[in-house]
Formats: sequence, C-alpha cells, structure tokens
Amino acid sequence: MQIQYNPNQVQLTKDGRLKHFLTTEGLSKELLTEILDTADSFISTQERAVKKVPLLRGKTVVNLFFENSTRTRSTFELAAKRLSADILNLDIARSATSKGETLMDTLWNLEAMYSDMFVVRHAHSGAAHFIAEQVTPGVAIINAGDGRHAHPTQAMLDMLTIRRHKGQIEGQTVAIVGDILHSRVARSQIHALKTLGAKEVRVVGPATLVPKEMADMGAKVHYHMETGLKDVDVVIMLRLQKERMSDALLPSEAEYFKLYGLTEEKLTLAKPDAIVMHPGPINRGVEIDSAVADGNQSVILNQVSYGIAVRMAVMSMAMSGQQAEREQEASV
Amino acid sequence: MTSLHISNCRILNSDATSVTIENGVISALGADAPTNAEVIDGKGALLLPGLIDLYSKANNIATEAQAAAHGGISIMCTSPDSKPMAEAPADIKSILSASDKTGAAKVLPLGTLTSELKGEQLANMHGLIEAGCIALSNARQPIKNTLVMRRLMEYAATHNITVFLTPQDQALAANGLMHEGPTATRLGLAGIPETAETIALAQQILLAELTGCKVHISHISCARAVDMIRDAKQRGIQISADVAIANLLYTDQAVNGYNSCFYVEPPLRAEQDRQALLAGVKEGLLAVSSNHKAHEQADKKATFADAETGMSILDTFLPMLMSLQAEDLTVAELANAASAVPAAILGLESAIETGKAANLVLFNEEEKQTCSEQDFLSSGSNSPILNQPLQGQVLLTLTKGEIAYQLS
Repeated sequence: MQIQYNPNQVQLTKDGRLKHFLTTEGLSKELLTEILDTADSFISTQERAVKKVPLLRGKTVVNLFFENSTRTRSTFELAAKRLSADILNLDIARSATSKGETLMDTLWNLEAMYSDMFVVRHAHSGAAHFIAEQVTPGVAIINAGDGRHAHPTQAMLDMLTIRRHKGQIEGQTVAIVGDILHSRVARSQIHALKTLGAKEVRVVGPATLVPKEMADMGAKVHYHMETGLKDVDVVIMLRLQKERMSDALLPSEAEYFKLYGLTEEKLTLAKPDAIVMHPGPINRGVEIDSAVADGNQSVILNQVSYGIAVRMAVMSMAMSGQQAEREQEASV
Repeated sequence: MTSLHISNCRILNSDATSVTIENGVISALGADAPTNAEVIDGKGALLLPGLIDLYSKANNIATEAQAAAHGGISIMCTSPDSKPMAEAPADIKSILSASDKTGAAKVLPLGTLTSELKGEQLANMHGLIEAGCIALSNARQPIKNTLVMRRLMEYAATHNITVFLTPQDQALAANGLMHEGPTATRLGLAGIPETAETIALAQQILLAELTGCKVHISHISCARAVDMIRDAKQRGIQISADVAIANLLYTDQAVNGYNSCFYVEPPLRAEQDRQALLAGVKEGLLAVSSNHKAHEQADKKATFADAETGMSILDTFLPMLMSLQAEDLTVAELANAASAVPAAILGLESAIETGKAANLVLFNEEEKQTCSEQDFLSSGSNSPILNQPLQGQVLLTLTKGEIAYQLS
C-alpha cells in the first residue's frame, strides 16, 4: 500500500497554473521562471511615482500570522496594497488560538468574511498545506513560512537576486551556510535552485546543523568552509538562533563564528565576483562579519527590495489561477 | 444455545469442511450437524482460528470490543490507559464485566505497570493480576530510569508476571514526529532516529536477562530491533515481540503530504525496516498487533504536530492482515502471527482441533468491501483505508463458541 504524493496536486490547477503557493518543490522551471519574470516587471512599477496596479482590486487578503514576524508581514501587506487589495492583518499568535479556538475554528470564521487569499505563517511544518486542503475552493493560500518546511516567497526573491546580479541561475555554484536543519528558507532554496538549473548546491555547517539526508534533496553536504566555499558564485548565509547553544547543537557563538562565520578572509575562497546573500535579520559577528555584510560583494539590501515584487507576482498569479479554475468549473 | 455447526467451510490446515461446537468447545471436525444444533452455512469461506490482539487502546470497552470482533478478533488485550484506566482491582472488574455484557471480543486488560503510569513506583502488580489482568504494561509512558526498570522486572519475575514494554529512549525521540530519514528532512518534521528504539531495547533485553523476567516488547519498528529480538531469543532470554500492522503496510513515505492519519507511534519507518519486519513475521518471530487507537475527526484535523497519534485498525484488522499475502506471506503464516504466536505469549491456546476452545473466524476472501464511516463499529474511523476498497470480509467471529460478530 504505497502512497504516491505530489505537492502540485494541491497547489496547481488542472491545467498547471499556480492557485496556492505552498512550496517550490515540484514546480516546473517554466513556472518558477514565470514568477521571476512577473516579479521583474513589477520592479519597474515600484520605481514609478504611483506604485499601484489594479490586479487585486476588490479582493480581500488576510495576513494570517500564527508566528510573529513584522518584517515578512509588512512586505506582504505592502505587496497586497500595491496590487490594490484590501488587507486585514490578524496577529493570531496573540489572539484567537491562544483562547482555545482550534485552527479549524479560525479558518471557518475567516471564510465567513469572504476572504480571497490567506497569507499564512505558522510554526508547524505542513500548516499551509493543511490549510490549503481545508479551505473553501476559491481561497488562495500563500505560504509565508511553515515550521522548518518551506518559505517559498523568500526563496524566490533570492532566486531573483541571483538572476539580477549574476545574469542567470543556470551554471551557478551556490553554498548555503549555517543552520540548515531548522531552515525552511534553505529547503525552499534548494528545490528552486535545482529546478532552475544551478550547477551545484552545497550546504555547509557542522553535522549537528546539517542533516546528511540533505543529499537526497540534491544538495552536496560540506562540513568545512574551506571546501564548502571553494570557487562558489553565490554564498547564502543563514541566521543562527541563540537557542542552538542551549539545545547542545553548538558549543558557543564564538566558536561558531571562528569556524563558520563569513569573514573577508573566508570569502576569498569563493570566486572573486561571488555575491553574498542573507535572508535577514543578520547577526553581525555571529554568522557574518560586518565588513562582509556591508562590503561590495554583499547584495543583502537588494534582496529586501525584491521581496515586495516577488510577493506581488505570486499573489497575482495565484489569484488569477483561482479565477481560471472557477471559470473552468462554471463552464463544465 | 449450546450447540453450533458451521458447514461448507475451508478449514486452515485441515481437510474437514465443517466444525461442530458444543459448550464453547470444538467437539468435532468434519462430522454431520447434531440434530439440535444451529447450523451456519460457511458458503465456502475460510475458517481460521480467532485472532488474538496484543494491544489496543479502548476509550469505550463496548464499542471497541464490537469493532474487534468485526475485524476477526476473538480475544483482545486493552492498554492500561484505556477507559477506565486499568490501575485498580475495581477498574479491572468493571472492564471484565463490560466485556462480558457486550458479548463481542473477550477483553483481557493489561494493567498498569507503575503507579499512575508515571514510571516511578511499582503498581500493585500482584493484585492487578489477581483481579484478572493478563499482563502489565506502562502504555507508551517512559519508565523513569534503568533502576526502576530493573526492580519492576525483578518483582514481576518473582510472581511470574509478563511485562509488556515499549522501547523508546525519550531523550533521543525528543520532539520527533516521524521516522528520521530523507522524508522527514524534506518535510521539515523532526525525526525519531531508529537508535531511540534500539538503545532502549538493548537495555530492556539486558535487564530481562539479568532478572529472568518474562518480557514482551510491544511494537518494534526497525530492522535492527528484529535482529536484536532474534538474537536475544537464541540466547535463551524469555522475550517476545510484536509489530503493529501499520508498520507492515506502510513506510515513512506515507507521511508525504502531511496526512495526519499516518502520525503513529512507533513511527512508520523505511522500506528496509518494513521488509525486515515482514521477514520476522514470516519466520514466526514476531506477532502482529493492531496497536489500535480510535479518534474523533477533530483530533486528526490539525497540523501534523498538533494532531493526535494513532490509527483505528480493529474493524479492518483481518482484511488488512490478509492483504499481506501480496508480500509473500501465506495465510497460515499470517494466522500464526495474529493468533498462535500471541496465544503463546499470553499462555492461551489457538488451534482448530477437537477439545480446544471455539475461538474462530469465518472469512470470505472473495468479497470486496468499502468501509465508510458508518461501517466502523469503533468510536473512531481514523483509518487510512476509510472509503478505500478492501479485499475480504469477516462473516462470523466466535469467542468460546459464542457469536461475537456475525455479518447481517
């Protein structure tokens, strides 16, 4: 009794259009490229005096954050507003579910408000997936981070960053450094990079933070910076949470910085024109030295500005996928 | 009614085509029906010894005993964390009387091994056995340390009590939700390494050897544990083990898509583990148990981490078991693993022979059925085969000659 599984059964319409955005896993190169192209087109609108486009006019987007994140929530809010949607921010972390209301109760209540899209952030892996399976047809779910599983909009803005700075993703060697075990960003990046034709994806860190099974996802496991950064085109540093020390995963911040912190010296292992990225917020002196974070190879601030465009792209594509599916079903 | 005759059936390991039952005991094989007997036409179905289930949680003795009989089970052991909790002689009396009153599968309660299942103090072990417990277990709750483990084994050995243990090192299992492996890594779900099971099992085997206690290991899940049990038995240690049927049917791949139906303890492991467990069943080393745990829908409708663990198995136990014929197991080997092996562990008998208790199940292998929610007699239908086609159907289950379930 083996069970076949494909995430696209949930996130794509029958004719292969995006209707939810839950994970980069399993999406085609064409679809990921369409997201990047659409985001590119929005970047030019962001440079205009009037930044709004009417693609989501009359639609209601709910920011459903079960885990606090002012930064990510703000970029989604701005993206929705620039698409002319009405936006409702619900800080569930501090309200409903803490009063004993179940996740299902919360969803039913929100559906009663005739929402069109939920942007979901939750501490449990698979939460966005679960919600997408439970909501009424027609409501689009955008995953803004679920546990350790996926953070697909962050990964796509990183892809956009690489494409804009390196010209293309094909042929690039990319090292992702740090706490891979707990990182939803790393997982989403690996799927996207492999599909978009990166030459090699490396994950670098001590064995306590880099599961060897990452190899099954197509990443090469490196335990040392000397080999991990050798001749790479892109270095992505991940944030290190303080609780990793108390969980006995690492001895100290100082030892971590010494071995895995990105300094100018370690960066010389990479290609001379390599770029340095970080999904933020950065811990200066823990995973990255200030000289590198602010140096001329760093594109960290550009990443932030691409975030809004990528979220606009994904939101408009998912909404039009939902619309297409409704029309298709109505015509049957 | 004291006399029953099942005609026109195929009896496992016998050329006879009928069985006669008098006063709860098999009185003849292949004889004509006595004049006063109630005759049941077996319609060519397969007659097997009634299944004996070593472990299920029953939140309601009546419904779960009916579900068990529906699934071909004549005798079932209920876990001590059932309702009521099996921790005092009065609870045992109430469980046994609920079982008798229901008249479905016979319930043999597993009593608590430690006080309130806290793993710190010994329960009144002798008193619980005297009140009618078949053996003692700590459900899936941890024993505080190896010293308490040693003492409870020594005390149990003193009174010749069988102890049921679940091997899991709590620290290594930590917040794990599924088997540690590539699927867990990809899904971002915390993993339970196989060493969480094997390290705890190694301690239990060594202490069983030290104390001479009769130990039964509930639900092993990995290949290495099968080898450890085989080796311990060869060294003469009084140890036995079972595997939950879910671990024979599914692997960690089933968790893809975050289907909380497959959130079970112990976790579904890799294909090589499943193959080793199947081999253990084939050689007669392992019993197969239901590890049944019924839930209302709301308990499973949550994110994977927030869902309750467990599968509802009882109603469909025999058809699920028989589906393992596709894995190179014969009907005789499967019946052995779900009836004769558990009978030996519990000190009961299981055989279709004259003079033996009439615990029997009549199974129509040809019939296809699809179980919807209403078909589950259990209080929960949290089953992966809910609304899925299922080969084979139980026609009749007898417990000591009494009809525990009959298809209407």
